[in-house]
Amino acid sequence: MSLDFSFSEENVMLVDALGEAMKPWAGPRKAELTEMVSNSIFPQELWQTFADVGLMGCLVPEEYGGTDVGLLPLALGFEKIAAMGISPNILLVTCMDSACIARNATDAIKEQYLPDIVSGKSKFCFAITEADAGTNSFNMTTKATAVGDKFVINGAKSYISGFEVADYMLLVARTTSQEDSKDTKMGQYHGLSLFIVPTDAPGIEKQLMPMAFNEGVGQYSLYFDNVEVAADQVVGQVDMGALVMFNSLNPERILAAAMCSGMSQFSVNMAAEYAKERKVFRDTPIGCYQGIAHPLAMAKSEHEAARLLMLKAAWAYDQKWDAVKVGSLANMCKLMNSESALHSVDAAIETLGGSAFTVEQGLLPLWNGARLLKTAPVSKEMILNFIAEWELGLPKSY
Amino acid sequence: MKVLVTVKRVVDYNVKVRAKADGSDVDLNNVKMAINPFCEIAVEEAVRLKEAGTATEVVVVSVGAKQCQEQIRTALALGADRGIHVETEGAVEPLVVAKLLKGVVEKEEPRLVILGKQSIDGDNNQTGQMLGALTNMPQGTFASEVAIDGDKVNVTREVDAGMQTISLNLPAIVTSDLRLNEPRYASLPNIMKAKKKPLDVFSPADLGVEVTSHITQLSVAPPAERQAGIIVESVEQLVDKLKNEAKVIS
Repeated sequence: MSLDFSFSEENVMLVDALGEAMKPWAGPRKAELTEMVSNSIFPQELWQTFADVGLMGCLVPEEYGGTDVGLLPLALGFEKIAAMGISPNILLVTCMDSACIARNATDAIKEQYLPDIVSGKSKFCFAITEADAGTNSFNMTTKATAVGDKFVINGAKSYISGFEVADYMLLVARTTSQEDSKDTKMGQYHGLSLFIVPTDAPGIEKQLMPMAFNEGVGQYSLYFDNVEVAADQVVGQVDMGALVMFNSLNPERILAAAMCSGMSQFSVNMAAEYAKERKVFRDTPIGCYQGIAHPLAMAKSEHEAARLLMLKAAWAYDQKWDAVKVGSLANMCKLMNSESALHSVDAAIETLGGSAFTVEQGLLPLWNGARLLKTAPVSKEMILNFIAEWELGLPKSY
Repeated sequence: MKVLVTVKRVVDYNVKVRAKADGSDVDLNNVKMAINPFCEIAVEEAVRLKEAGTATEVVVVSVGAKQCQEQIRTALALGADRGIHVETEGAVEPLVVAKLLKGVVEKEEPRLVILGKQSIDGDNNQTGQMLGALTNMPQGTFASEVAIDGDKVNVTREVDAGMQTISLNLPAIVTSDLRLNEPRYASLPNIMKAKKKPLDVFSPADLGVEVTSHITQLSVAPPAERQAGIIVESVEQLVDKLKNEAKVIS
C-alpha cells in the first residue's frame, strides 16, 4: 500500500506557520492591503513575511540558503495564501525563476542570485512574451548578439508582470535566427537563450500597459536598445534556452493551479459561512435552499478533484518524473483548477447576491484573477492541444 | 541554565468546538489541533532566554497521546532544543500531569520551568501551581514579564489590583499570561531542522507515577444560543433597559 493521501508533518507545519504569519493580512490589515493593491503599491512587508516563512527557499538547494523541500510544500503555501484571499502573483514568477536557475545555471550564477532570492532581497520577473510571440514563443524576435565577452540585446517584450518591482528579469532572447535554427538537429527548439538582466540596465525603456483590472503589480512593455549583458549571465547553454524554459513552465502551471485551488477554497468557504447566517424569508438561513446549497456542493466536489490533480502534479515534479508526463499533469491541473476556481467564485457570487459586488467581500478581484488564470500563463486551448498530442497521440493541428 | 517548558495539545483556538451528540465529551473528530496558546507563549519566552544567552538549553515536554509529538515538533521548530514526550492514554487530570512533570523535573533538573497559566480546553489553571507544591519550588504565576537576575528570577504578575513584581529563588516555576510576549511563527528551515532534533518518549511507569483519576466528566453541553440583540436609540434608553429590563444596574 504505497498510496497515501495524508500530508507530512512538515507540510502541515509549514501551512500552519504561513497561516499564522499571514493572519494580520487576512484580518486587521486586509483593508490596508486591498488599498495598496488598488494603488499598485507593492506590499514589501508581506513579501518579507513570505521570505521569513521560507517560501522562496523551497526550490533552492541548501548550499544557497534554501531548503530544497520541493514544489509540493510550495504549492501548499501558494494555495494557503490564495485561500486567505491574497494573490501571490510576483512570488510565482520569482519562485519559478529560482527553480530555473537552481536546475540550469552555473554555480557562479547560483551563488550570485539564489541566496538573495531566498532572503527576500531580490525579486525576479520573467520576460518572454512579445507582441507577435505570445502563445507561439518561437516567433520571438528580440535578439541577443554575441560581441566579445558580452551579449547585446535589441528588441521588445510585452505583458511583463511586475517589472517595476523586480530587481532582475529572466529574459528569453534569440541567439540564432529562426531561419538558421531550422536546419539544426533540434529544429525550432534551437536558437533561444536565457539571460539574467538587471531591470535597471542601461538601454531598457519601460512603458506601463493600462490593464482593465489591477493585480497589484503592473504589466509592462519593454524596449531594449543595445542592452549589454555579460556572457556569463546565460542560464543553461547558449541556443538551448527552449528546453530550459519549457521545463520551468511546469512549476509555473502547477503553482498557478495551486493559486486557483486556494481561490476555490476561499470562495466556497466564505459563501457557505454566509449561507449559514443569511436569512431572507422567515427564520430560514438561505443555505437550507438547494438552489444555494447544491451549486456550492458541486463547486466543493469539483475543487476536491482538481486539487488532487494539482497535488499529484507537484508531487510528480518533485519525484522528477519524465518531463512530458509532468508537463501533461501540470497542464491538466492548471486547466481543471482554473475551471474549478471560476465555478467556485461564481457559486459564491450567486450565494452572496448584491453584497458579492462590494469591495469588502473581495469576490470580484477573485473573479478577475480566476478568469485570468484560465487564459494565463497558457490558454485552455493550448493545454488541450498538448494533452491531445502527448497523452493521446493525436496529430498536431497547428 | 536549562529551561524546561511544557506544551499541551488542544483544539486550535480558531475552531468552533462542538459537543458530541451524546453529550459525553467535546467532539475531536477531524478537528484541527494545536499548541495551547499560553504554552506557545511559554515556548517563546524560553527561546528568547536562549537567544539572549541566558538559557543554554530549552527542553520541551508534553504529556498525552502519541499525537502530542506534533506539538513537540512545532515547539522544536520554534526554537526548543529537544523534546520529551510522556505518553499517556485517555484524559489525564492536572494532578497527574503535575506528578509526571515532577518526574521530568527530577530527571532534567532545570533551573527554570515555564508553563502556560492554563489550557484553553480544560481552563483548570492548576498544573503550574500543583507542580510548585509537589517540587517545593517557588512559583510566579500569570507572568507578564520575566527577568533573570543572577540566582533569582523577577516575575511581574498581572493581579487584580494591577502589576505585582516578585523575586523568586532559582530553580523556580513561572506560568505565562497572555501579554508576556507575542510568539513567533515557525519557518520552513526551522521546521526541517526540528525533524532532526532528539525526542525521548517516557511512560508514566518510567517516571514512577501511577495514572489515577479523581475526576469524572459527567457531560458536555454547548452554551445556550445567544438571542439577537436590539439597537437602542439613545443612552437614556440604554440605561432604562439595563435598569428595568435586564436589571443589571440599579
